[in-house]
Amino acid sequence: MNGRGGPTDDAEVVLRMAAGSEAALETIYDRYASAIFAAAYRLTSDRGTAEEVVQETFLALWNRAESFDSAAGSLAAWLHTIARNRAIDRLRAAGRRPSLVALSSAAGLDEDPTQALERLVSGGSVVASAVAPAGPEEAYAAVGRREAIRLAVGEMPEAERTVILLAYQEELSQSEIADRLGWPLGTVKTRTRRALLRLRAGLGAEFGPAAEHEDMPVPAGEER
Amino acid sequence: MDHDAAREQLELAALEPGGLERLMAGDTAPAQAVAAHLAGCPSCTEELVRLQRAVPVIRSVVREMPAPDLRARTMAAIRAEGVIRPLVVAAPGATTSAPATTHPATAVPPVPGTAAAVAPQPFGRRWRGTPVLGLVATIAAAVVLSVVSTSIIVGGRVDGQLAGQADQIATLEEVTTATLTVTAQPDAHHVALASASDTTVAGSLAFSPSIAQLVVVATGLTPPPAGMEYRCWVEVGGARRPVGKMFFSQDLAYWVGAAPAVSGISGRATFGVSLVGAGGSAVDAAPVLVGAL
Repeated sequence: MNGRGGPTDDAEVVLRMAAGSEAALETIYDRYASAIFAAAYRLTSDRGTAEEVVQETFLALWNRAESFDSAAGSLAAWLHTIARNRAIDRLRAAGRRPSLVALSSAAGLDEDPTQALERLVSGGSVVASAVAPAGPEEAYAAVGRREAIRLAVGEMPEAERTVILLAYQEELSQSEIADRLGWPLGTVKTRTRRALLRLRAGLGAEFGPAAEHEDMPVPAGEER
Repeated sequence: MDHDAAREQLELAALEPGGLERLMAGDTAPAQAVAAHLAGCPSCTEELVRLQRAVPVIRSVVREMPAPDLRARTMAAIRAEGVIRPLVVAAPGATTSAPATTHPATAVPPVPGTAAAVAPQPFGRRWRGTPVLGLVATIAAAVVLSVVSTSIIVGGRVDGQLAGQADQIATLEEVTTATLTVTAQPDAHHVALASASDTTVAGSLAFSPSIAQLVVVATGLTPPPAGMEYRCWVEVGGARRPVGKMFFSQDLAYWVGAAPAVSGISGRATFGVSLVGAGGSAVDAAPVLVGAL
C-alpha cells in the first residue's frame, strides 16, 4: 500500500485514469491512500471523517483528473491539498479547529521533513515552528518504529491482522471481537496475543518482548 | 500465578481499551494475582514497562491505517458517484498496475464476487440521496448480469431461458421496489456487508427503523447445501434475533421484508448472515456476512 511512483510515472497513471482506467485509479489509491488517511485522521481525530475525506479526495481525483498538471506540482501535493481542504471543511461544519500536528507526523511514508514542508507550503497550509519534542536520533527511531509496525501489520496473517485492527481501530474487547467474527473467545485471545507479539518483535529491546518470551501462542488446531 | 500466566494477563489487557490501567488498578481477582506476581518478579515487571511503552505507539499507528475495506468502498462510491468515463475493468487476476483492458462500451456491469460488485457506502448526510441510486444500480447490474449468464448457459432452451429471465426480472422488481421504499424514509440506513474470511463475498443492507423494513442483497455466496439455508439476524446487546432467510436468483442472494428486529435500534447493533439448518430458527452459527448497524 505504500509503494510510490515518481512524478513522471504518476502523471502517466493519471492520464490512463483520465482515459477511464479503473486499474490506474486503484494504482494511485494504493500509492497514496494510506498517507492521506493518516493525515486526515491526524487533523480530525475521527476515523469515520478521515474515511470520508479519503473517499471524497479520490472521487475528486476521478472527476477532475484533467485539471492535474504535473508541471505545477506533484500528485502527492495535489491529493494532500484536496484532502486537507475537505477535512477542514468538515471541521468547520462541526465547529471544530484542526488538530495541531508535528511536521514529522505530517510527512508521508517516503518524505523527509523538508519535502513535507515544501508540500505543505505549496498546498497553502499554515506552517509554524516549535521546539522539537525530541532529538533527531529519537525522532528518527520513532519514525523507524512506526514504519516497522506498518510493515508488520501488512505482513502478518490475515486472521491476526483482522483481530488487531478490530482491537485497536474499533476498540472492541476480545469478547466483542469473538461475537463479531463468530470465533471462539480462546481463538481470539491467542490470535490477538500472536499479533501483538509480531508487532513488538520488530521494535527492539526497549519496546519488544524479552527474548525468552518470544514463543508464539498457538491456537488449538493450528500450526505455530 | 507463574510467569506465563502473568504475561498472558498483561498481553490480553494491553489489547483492550484501557486494559492495562484496569489491570493495574487491582480490583479484580486476576488483577490481584498479577499484582502479587509482579511484586516478586523483576522480569515480568520489566515486561509490563515495555508493554506500557509499546502499546500507545502500536495503537496510534494502527489507528492511522485505513480499514482494509475502504479501498473497495471508495471504488464502489466512485462508480456510483463519479463522472462517467469510458470504464475500464481489469481482467480477472490482473494486478492493479498492469495495463488495463479497454472496453468500447461506456459502462460494464460489475461481476458478482469481485470488487466491482461491492455496493457503495454513503459518504455522509449531504450525499444521502445518490448512494440509493448506486445501491439500486448495483442490484440491477447483478440481476442483469445473471440474465445475461442465463442466456449463454441455456442456449436453445428458449422456454427455460424466458422463465429464468422472468424470475430474475421479478426479483429485480421486488428488490428495487423495496429498496426505494426503505431508502425514501428519513431514517434510512445503508450498510456495506463484508465477509471476515472470503473477500469475494460482499453485500449491501438498507433498512429503516421507523417502518421496520429491511432489504439485503449479497453476491459471491455459494448456494446452501441440501438441508441448509442462509438466515439473516440482528444482534443487539449480545442477543441475536432471526430476521429472514436469503433467497437466490442466479448469483444474487437477497431478502426483503418486515424486520421488527430493526425497529427502534439506537445503540450498537450488528447485522449478519449465517449458514444454518433449514426450517429452524437458530442463528447462532458463525456469520458469513456481517456489518455494523
